[in-house]
Amino acid sequence: MNAFQIHGETIQFFPDGAIFLPDHGALIVADVHLGKSATFRAKGLPVPEGDTSRDLVRLATLVQQTQATRLIVAGDLFHAPAGITQEIEGAIQHFLDQVGIPFHLISGNHDARLKRFPCAISAVDSYDIGTLRIIHDPKDTTEDRLHLAGHWHPVVKIKDGARRSLRLRCFLLRNRTLVLPSFGSFTGGAVIPLEPDDRTFVAIRENVIELPSQLVR
Amino acid sequence: MRFPKLQPFFNARGWKPFPFQKETWTAYHEGKSGLLHAPTGQGKTLAVYMGPLSETLDQPNHCSVLWLTPLRALAADTLRALREPLAELAPHLQAEARTGDTSAAIRAKLRKKLPHTLVTTPESLSLMLTHADFPEKLSSLRCVIVDEWHELLGTKRGVQAELCLARLRAWFPGLKIWGLSATLGNLTEARQTLLGTAFENSVEVTADLKKPIIIDTLIPKEIDRFPWSGHLGTRLAPQVAKEVEKAKTTLLFTNTRSQTEIWYQELLELRPEWKDLLAMHHGSLDPTERAIAEQGLRDGSLKCVIATSSLDLGVDFSPVDQVIQIGSPKGIARLLQRAGRAGHQPGKSSRILGVPTHALELVEFAAARDAMRARHIEARPPLEKPVDVLVQHLVTCAIGQPFPADEMRREIQSSHAYRNLTDEEWHWSLGFISNGGAALAAYPRYQKAQVIDGRYTIADKRLILQHRMSIGTIISDATVSIRFANGSTLGTVEESFISRLKPGSPLVFGGRHLVLVRFHQRTATVKPAPKNIKGHVAVWGGQRMPLSTELAHALALRLKGKGDPTPEMKAVQPILDIQKKWSRLPDDDSLLVEHTRSREGEHLFIYPFAGRLVHEGVAALVAYRISRFSGESIQTTHNDYGFSLNARRGLFLGEEQLREVLTEENLLDDLIECMHTAELARRQFREIARVSGLILQQPPGRPTQSQRELQSSASLLFEVLQRYDSENLLLEQSRREILERQLELTRLTHVLHALQKRPILFVETQHLSPMAFPLWADRLQAILVAADATTRLEAMLKELNKAAG
Repeated sequence: MNAFQIHGETIQFFPDGAIFLPDHGALIVADVHLGKSATFRAKGLPVPEGDTSRDLVRLATLVQQTQATRLIVAGDLFHAPAGITQEIEGAIQHFLDQVGIPFHLISGNHDARLKRFPCAISAVDSYDIGTLRIIHDPKDTTEDRLHLAGHWHPVVKIKDGARRSLRLRCFLLRNRTLVLPSFGSFTGGAVIPLEPDDRTFVAIRENVIELPSQLVR
Repeated sequence: MRFPKLQPFFNARGWKPFPFQKETWTAYHEGKSGLLHAPTGQGKTLAVYMGPLSETLDQPNHCSVLWLTPLRALAADTLRALREPLAELAPHLQAEARTGDTSAAIRAKLRKKLPHTLVTTPESLSLMLTHADFPEKLSSLRCVIVDEWHELLGTKRGVQAELCLARLRAWFPGLKIWGLSATLGNLTEARQTLLGTAFENSVEVTADLKKPIIIDTLIPKEIDRFPWSGHLGTRLAPQVAKEVEKAKTTLLFTNTRSQTEIWYQELLELRPEWKDLLAMHHGSLDPTERAIAEQGLRDGSLKCVIATSSLDLGVDFSPVDQVIQIGSPKGIARLLQRAGRAGHQPGKSSRILGVPTHALELVEFAAARDAMRARHIEARPPLEKPVDVLVQHLVTCAIGQPFPADEMRREIQSSHAYRNLTDEEWHWSLGFISNGGAALAAYPRYQKAQVIDGRYTIADKRLILQHRMSIGTIISDATVSIRFANGSTLGTVEESFISRLKPGSPLVFGGRHLVLVRFHQRTATVKPAPKNIKGHVAVWGGQRMPLSTELAHALALRLKGKGDPTPEMKAVQPILDIQKKWSRLPDDDSLLVEHTRSREGEHLFIYPFAGRLVHEGVAALVAYRISRFSGESIQTTHNDYGFSLNARRGLFLGEEQLREVLTEENLLDDLIECMHTAELARRQFREIARVSGLILQQPPGRPTQSQRELQSSASLLFEVLQRYDSENLLLEQSRREILERQLELTRLTHVLHALQKRPILFVETQHLSPMAFPLWADRLQAILVAADATTRLEAMLKELNKAAG
């Protein structure tokens, strides 16, 4: 089962890096970084295109699968101004038409560098669902409620024999903040040094499980 | 003397030119290029330099000679050696060095005007090619000299040098190119690689200085107590200390950085009074620490320096009168190179003292001596057309001198590495540096080089700057720097070592006893340890070098009883007798297979004598093939002599079955399957991505906004390319490189082929034979065949559940 009760909230985890709140019909992802490869190409680095359309298809599939009634991106939907090309704008418009549900973007540090968002998207600093608040940077949390955040691209390191370790993208729960893994397929991750009461959740085939602390390096 | 202009220099010193020097000068004056094969010693510098010098003595101070050196550290010494004759014969001519170490002031000066002789590295030469006025500045160039060519041969830096030389040859058709090389098994091929299409009508000159090399061995007093295995063995340290005592200055070579640290501690413990007379030198030490050791060797103020291959290269340390090799020589050329570090003056003999760390290394030293006498020296195969180096060079050229495609292709193919470049490879490379080429659809809006008036051109200032910062092919590993709280650095270690330590844990690094204070973001802060605390000696990853084919063959001959009696063979005889009594002596005409049973199940020990990398590959291959029909999981270990398999059951194989698991059929597919080549290739991709310009070199300090936007990891790029541009030639290159570097695929294929014809001697043993014992004792180093991440995680979770009951 992929549903967990966290601070009184039912949260479904998806192996693809998204979470769904069944009580509110809300699907949430973070750090999509659309147009990252286009940014690279614009700066003279030959990286092929493919990530944008693929990531939008993954997202549309999740919307369909969960029957979500709203979609929230917890920051960094876009990578950089240089990555916003006509093709990408078109792909995003097509995606928005296709899913046809309200779309909310929290402004991430990467988004903030864009002078103009494509497809009349607008961004807010945070978005509340009931008592829960969605933000981009985990450092902007307050004590009083459960937060969903992104920005860190969390990765957990697992001991695998004496000399080797395994790196896995993870959901990280620290105090009352749940940090989502980066959703974009052309994004990297960072190993987050864990604190004693941290909980991590990783994908294993079709499931997301909580990682036993003995395995964490 | 036929070179009157040079006479004053020799007369003043009372020297007479050696025949090889005259031979080189004559060839040079006939307009020939060539390769001078000479042991270390200053005679070779004069041999290659005096030709172009005498040609240009009366000329104005225009750049006439380029001296390429593989090592920045060598540049200063070389400059000193070249300035000597210059000062005397042509004081109006200047020599300067331009390397990564050169100060900004001198660099600026050199941007304006180049001196008569310029000492530089392949990277710096490439960088100069990006300046539009470089050909004009070089218009008086007569000769390029490539020092220590054997070091560059077989590396991407060597290929980079080949491409630079092709460029210079195209600009100046009469250019003479001379290489200097130590002894190699493939000197002709080395000359071909250096000269490319200029090989015809070139010469090879050999300096036969009659400089004898003596290989001695420290014989353990009680061979029956001497270990059969191990590689750190400090058993002979007291005897080594006595030898160090006898000599003036000793250079003590080890095979690994950890071993250097261990021997330093060991000698210090035996002779505490040498505290200020001992120093250490290895690649992970801070450059200032290394410079101190080098200076101590140069002025003779140190008694002994313990070093790794970081001191193999030609810096001149005249005071060194003794060289010691700890542990296996690994190769004949390597041992000779190290021996040459002593008695650096022409005419003096070089002596190296071998110190075995286990019994069979005695045979290795005897075998190395045999091979040296028979002149069976290893070859260094050159690299064949690495695509990453090519695309980097094409960008370099497009910046400096925009080029038409056809003309450039002829130039590229005039180098040895790319002589067989295909249409497909060429067009792909052009696409990669311009607009995406054949895979255009996958690269919308990508544009680097533009074709203007039929020439590939890069004019964007930002791209030019970016490329200049990224030139080169040496990619350093991700390491952690070790420093004191006051900020002074000691050197680097690998993250895997430091992350195992907790704050407060003791460690030994750079000969110091330290305590880890904290490890944060690629920096480990340490402080001196309180007295009497023993810590972990720092370990570094990186593979151990395999025994060379030539040395392995010489070793097999010795085991067959060939060769004159030597003290080493006499000492090791009791152990060989046990091997013969309990099993048989292995050799490389047949294939010895030992089978034995223990509490751990069954063991197979197989001895192809092909070096550790090949054995690792063959062991994995055989284990994979056996487990396919037995269903048992199999552990493998390997060393330079052979490999072993261990399983609960199913290893008692008949000849036919053995032949089946050693077959050449399906070799590549099976290897890719069992070695997880895909995973390994992903790691190899880091270097390729950097060289080809897919990953940018991050300058030190905090990255700027725009740099951060362009950060990505090699493994991420590998995935993206695999998914959206699977035909990308860089992916293919990384698979090829990993097979060659990790498994020595070419050698492995030869070995498997040869094994088909070797009769199999199957012996059932009661005890572990002396040859089998080290493989058994090493079993903890076994690589277990790994599965993909998910499967591994599942297994771990299952294990946890089981333990929880």
